[in-house]
Amino acid sequence: MVKIRIGVYVCHCGSNIGGVVDSKAVAEYAQTLKDVVVARDNKYTCSDRGQEEIKQDVKEHKLNRVVIASCSPNLHERTFRRTVADAGLNPYLFQMVNIREQVSWVHAGDKDAATEKAKDLVRMGVSKVRLLEPLLERRVTVEKSVLVIGGGIAGIEAALQLSSLGVKSHLVERTPSIGGRMAQLDKTFPTTDCSICILAPKMVEVGASPNITLHTYTDVEAIEGYVGNFNVTLRKKARHVNMDRCIGCGSCAEVCPVKVPSEFDMGMGNRKAAYVPFPQAVPLKYTIDEANCLYFKTGKCQLCVKACPTDAIEHDTIDVLEDLRVGAIIVATGFDPYTPKVRDYFGYREFANVMTAMEFERMVNASGPTKGHIVRPSDGKTPRRIAFIQCVGSRNKKIGNQYCSNVCCMYTMKNAQIIKEHEPDTDVSVYYIDIRAHGKGFEEYYHRLRERYQIEYIRGRPAKIWQDPQTLNLKVRAEETLLNQITDREFDLIVLSVGLVPAAGTDRIAGMLNLSKSNDGFLQEAHPKLRPVETTTEGVYICGCAQAPKDIPSTVAQARAAAAAAAAPILRGEFVIEPLVARVDEEACVGCGLCVEVCPYKAPRLVKGPVGQKAEIVEVLCRGCGVCVSACPHHAIKAEQFSDEQLESEMMAALKAEVR
Amino acid sequence: MAYGLFLGCLIPNRYPGVEWSTRYIMNKDHLNVPLVDIEEFSCCPVPGIFYSVDKETWLTLAARNLVVAQDEEVQLLTLCNGCYMSLHKAAETLQDSKKRSEVNKVLRGVGKRYTGEEVPGDGRVKQYRPVQVKHLVEVLANDVGIDRIEKSVTTPLTGFRVAVHYGCHYLRPSTTHTIENPNRPHLVDDIVRACGATTVEYDEKLACCGAGGGVRSHVKELADALTADKMKSIQAAGADVIVTVCPFCLLQFDTAQLTLPGINTPVVHISNMLALAMGADPLFLGFDLHNVSVNPILRKLRRRTTA
Amino acid sequence: MSGETEETFIGGQKTLVVEEKVVLDKEYDPEFVAEIVKYGGRDVKTCHQCGNCTGVCPYSLKTLYKTRNIIKMCQLGLKSLVLQTPWLCATCYRCYEHCPEDINAAEVMIALRHIAVRDGFIPDFIQRVTRNVRQYGQSVAPAREVEILRTQLELGPLSYAKPRYGKTINEVQYIMRAMGYDKLVHVLDEKPKEKAAGAAADQAAEGEVR
Repeated sequence: MVKIRIGVYVCHCGSNIGGVVDSKAVAEYAQTLKDVVVARDNKYTCSDRGQEEIKQDVKEHKLNRVVIASCSPNLHERTFRRTVADAGLNPYLFQMVNIREQVSWVHAGDKDAATEKAKDLVRMGVSKVRLLEPLLERRVTVEKSVLVIGGGIAGIEAALQLSSLGVKSHLVERTPSIGGRMAQLDKTFPTTDCSICILAPKMVEVGASPNITLHTYTDVEAIEGYVGNFNVTLRKKARHVNMDRCIGCGSCAEVCPVKVPSEFDMGMGNRKAAYVPFPQAVPLKYTIDEANCLYFKTGKCQLCVKACPTDAIEHDTIDVLEDLRVGAIIVATGFDPYTPKVRDYFGYREFANVMTAMEFERMVNASGPTKGHIVRPSDGKTPRRIAFIQCVGSRNKKIGNQYCSNVCCMYTMKNAQIIKEHEPDTDVSVYYIDIRAHGKGFEEYYHRLRERYQIEYIRGRPAKIWQDPQTLNLKVRAEETLLNQITDREFDLIVLSVGLVPAAGTDRIAGMLNLSKSNDGFLQEAHPKLRPVETTTEGVYICGCAQAPKDIPSTVAQARAAAAAAAAPILRGEFVIEPLVARVDEEACVGCGLCVEVCPYKAPRLVKGPVGQKAEIVEVLCRGCGVCVSACPHHAIKAEQFSDEQLESEMMAALKAEVR
Repeated sequence: MAYGLFLGCLIPNRYPGVEWSTRYIMNKDHLNVPLVDIEEFSCCPVPGIFYSVDKETWLTLAARNLVVAQDEEVQLLTLCNGCYMSLHKAAETLQDSKKRSEVNKVLRGVGKRYTGEEVPGDGRVKQYRPVQVKHLVEVLANDVGIDRIEKSVTTPLTGFRVAVHYGCHYLRPSTTHTIENPNRPHLVDDIVRACGATTVEYDEKLACCGAGGGVRSHVKELADALTADKMKSIQAAGADVIVTVCPFCLLQFDTAQLTLPGINTPVVHISNMLALAMGADPLFLGFDLHNVSVNPILRKLRRRTTA
Repeated sequence: MSGETEETFIGGQKTLVVEEKVVLDKEYDPEFVAEIVKYGGRDVKTCHQCGNCTGVCPYSLKTLYKTRNIIKMCQLGLKSLVLQTPWLCATCYRCYEHCPEDINAAEVMIALRHIAVRDGFIPDFIQRVTRNVRQYGQSVAPAREVEILRTQLELGPLSYAKPRYGKTINEVQYIMRAMGYDKLVHVLDEKPKEKAAGAAADQAAEGEVR
C-alpha cells in the first residue's frame, strides 16, 4: 500500500481571496491534517512561479496527491491538471477546492467565518483526494469531414473556410438552392452592396469546390453518435428532376400550368410548380414541387416532360436516404423573419398597404415580383409617403420576444436610402424607440443618410393604425415623445421592420443534437463571452443567426470561427475525452434499463452479453452528470471522482468540524 | 351551475328596464336560462371609487359578495363591465392564499369565509376553484349560443343600424379578461346580427366612453369630451342606435348627448335589444327614463309590423 | 419669482412670463418608487419611454396629461410634480395592453391615487359615493321616479327597502370600518375635507349620476 502524500496549496489570488480569507492560516491548518506533507499559501498559484513550486514539491517531497484551494475549476482546473501531469503525476490525482466563488466572493462581510469555511472545504478536499484513483484520458479517432447544416451565408462561409483548411464538408440545405436569407435581400448595409452580387460568387465557389459536397433539397433525418464519429442520415427529397441531365434551361417552367405563391418572394409573387427559387441558384437545377404539381394531383399534364430537351424530368422518383459519417457538425440554420399577427394591431394582412420589411426587400429587388419598382399593393401606384415602424416583434415582453433583433435599425436606414434613390419625391418617416447603429461604419451611415436625404425620424411607438376606406391610405397615431405631442399622420405605404426569430427547423435539429436554447429561443453557446461558437455538446458548433440575430459581417466572422473550431479536432485527427464518466459494474447490473431512460445524453445502452442484458456507458457521450448513478436501483453505476465513497468521505470531513 | 344574477347598483336604481329585459330574455319562454335572485349582494364595490382609494377594502367588500355566491352555490352573471371587472379581479386575486387569509380575517367578523366554490373530488382533501364570474355577453355567446338566440327572435330588428360599443373592462386587461381578442372583438356584433339588425363599423369603435375611472364624477366635461368623439364617429357612420354591454356606458351616452347640440342617438343595453327582438313590448323596457328618446328606432319596428 | 416682460422676439411673440423652470435636486424623492410599488403599481423602472401608452390613452389626447411623462416622473421620484395630475385616468387599461415592457401604467395611476388620498387629496365624489354605500349598500342613491317605475314593471323594491337587507348594510359598514376606510376618506367628518386639485368640485356636487 503506497502511503498517501498530499500537497496542499492555498491561493491568495492577489486580494481576491486573500482580502477575505486568511489563506496563510488555511495553509497552516492544512499542514495539520493527516497525510499532508506540504502545505503552502501563495499569491497566484496559476502563475508560472506558482506552478513551478508545485512541480518542485512533487519531486522533492514525493507527493502523490495534490489539492489546490483557489478559484472555480471552470477557470483553472485544466491548467492545474497540466501542471500536475508535467510534474509526473496522473492529472486525475488532483482535487480543486473553490475558495473564491464559493467563499471570498460570497462571504466578504464576515472574514472569520469565511476563513473557517475555507478550512472546512480544504479538509473536505483533502479527504476526497485520498480516495482518488489515477484515470486515463481516452482518445478517439476523428472522421475527417464536417457536416454543415444550413446553406445560407453562415453555412457557405463555414464550408469555404473549412475547404481552405483542406477539410472536407457536407453542406446540407433544405431548399432547392443555397443562398438563404441573404439571397432574398436587395442591398446590404452599410455599404449598400447588392446582396446577391456579393453572395453569388461565394455560392459558385461552393458549387465548384472539390472539398464541399453540396446536398440541396435535403433534410437532416437523424444524427447519432459522438464527437469524431457522428452518423448522419440525410433525406434527399425527390426533385423529380435528374441532376445530371438537367441543364437549367427553364423550358419546363415555361410550360408548367401551375402557379403558386413563391416562398422566395415572400408570397408577393408567384412561381411555377417546376421552378428554381431564383435565377442565381446553386445548383442551377430545376425542382418539381410535388405538393402542387398537377401530375401528382390528377395524373395528367406532364407538359414539362415533353418540353425538356434532355429528358431530365423523372416523376417517378422518391426520397432517398443517405448515410454519412462526420467528425464535427456546424449548425447554421439561420432565422425566419417575424410574422406579425394577422388582422391585428398593425393591420398586417388586413390593410392592403401594410407589408413587412422582408416583403419590401423582395419588392424593391430588380428580380422580384415588381421588377424593383416600389408600388402600393392596393393599386400599383408609387407611394408618396412611406412610414417604417421599428421594433415589430422585438423588444416586446408582451409577445415573449424581449430581445433586440440587432439589424432592423440598420436595414431600415438602407431601405430608406433605396427609396430615396428610386423615388426622390417620396417622403420617408421612421417610427422608432431607439436607434442602434453599433457596428463599424454604422453611425457614419446614419449620419450620411440624414445629411443627404430628408428622412424623418419620429420617436414614438405607434399606438393606432387605421385605414381610409376610400384611398386605402393608412393613418398612424403615435406620441412623438420628443415633441411631447400626440400626432396623427397619413401614409400611403407602411413597412413593418420585423425582427428575427429562429428558423422553423431549428428546434428539430437542436433536439437531435441535445442543444440548449437561450431564453430568447436561439441556440445557446457554451459561454456567451469566451466560447461563442461552441456548444455544450462536444463536436457541435453553432454560428450565424441560429445563435442570435446578427448582421452579415458578424455572421461571416462567426462562421469562420466555427469552421476553425470544427477543424481543430479534424486536423489533429483525434479527440481527447475527459475520463470523468460513469461506469457500470456488470456484476451488479440487472439490465433494467432505467439508466437508459433517464440519461439526457443517450450515453447508456443495453447490450446483450453472455449472462443477459447489461448496461454499458458510451464514454464519449457521457457528461458525468450522475443522473444514472442516482437512478440505478442496484447501485451498479459509479461516477469517476464522484463515487459514493468519495462523496461520503467529503461529507464526513465536513461534519467533523466542532459544533459552533 | 346555476347563475346568480348580480345586478349591481346602476341598473336597479337608474335603468330598471335592463333588469326587466334580462329577466324576460332569460325566462323559460325564451332562452330558458334560470336565474337565481340573491338579496344579500351589495355594491360590487364600484372600482372607480374603492379600487382607486384602498385596494384592501375593495378586495374585502368584493370577497363578501363572492362568499354570498359561494354559499348559494351559484356562478355570477353580471350585466355591467364594472361589476365584471371588480368581481372577476377579486376572484383572481383571492387565488393567492396569503390574500385569502388576510381577507378572511376581516370577514370572520361578519361570519363569512371565502374558500371559492367546491370542486367535486374523490380525495379526502377538499378542492376549491375561484367563484366563477361571467359577463352577460359571454353567457349569451358561449353558453346559450348564437344559434339559439337567433331561433328565439320573433321580431327581427330589420332596419336597425346599430353601433356596438364594447366598453373598456369587457375587453381589458386581456391577460385576465379573456372573453375576446381586445383588438378585434365580435361577439356583441354577432348577437346584434342574430337579432336581425345591421351592425355599423365606425372609427372610434374601441374608444372609451369616458365614464370610467371616476372621471365622470370628478371632471365631467372631460368624460363628455370623450363621448363627443364617439358620437361624432357614430353619427358619421350613419348609425341610428347605440348598444352597450355596460350600464355605466349606457348612462354616459344617455346623458352626455344633452351637452351636444344636434346629436340624439338613442342608446340601449344589449338585454334591451334582445328583449325587443324576442317580442317584448317596449313599454316594459324602461325607456321613459332615458334622456335621449328611444322612440325614433321603436318607430322602425312599428312601421314594419303594421305594414 | 415671476414677472412679466414685454419683449418683441423674432417670431413676434409679445409677452413672456418669467419663472423658475429648473427642477432642483431636492425634488427627487427616492422613496417614491417604493411607495408606488407598495400600492401595486408594479416596478416602473424598466420603462424606456417609447410613448405607446400616451398614444393609446384617451385622456392624453384631450389634456396636457401624458401617461409617459407621469411614468418618467415616477421613475425619477418627482412626487410633487406627479401629484398634480393623477386623477384623470379612465382605467381603460389600453396602456397595459400595448406596453412592450409589460408595465401596467393604469395600476401606477391607481397607486398614485392611493398615495394622494393618504396625503389628504380626497375629491368630494369619493365621500358622496362612500356615504351611499354606507347608507344603502349601493353606490347610487335611490330616486323616487325609478322606484315608481320599478313598481309598474313589477320588479320589486330596491335592496335597501327589503327587510332583511339591514344585515348586508351592517356587514358592509363593518368591513369599511374594520379596514379603516371610513377614517381614510374622512367620511364620518362633519364637513367633507377639501380636495386639492381639480376645478370640478361644483359639478361633482351636482350628483354622482345625472
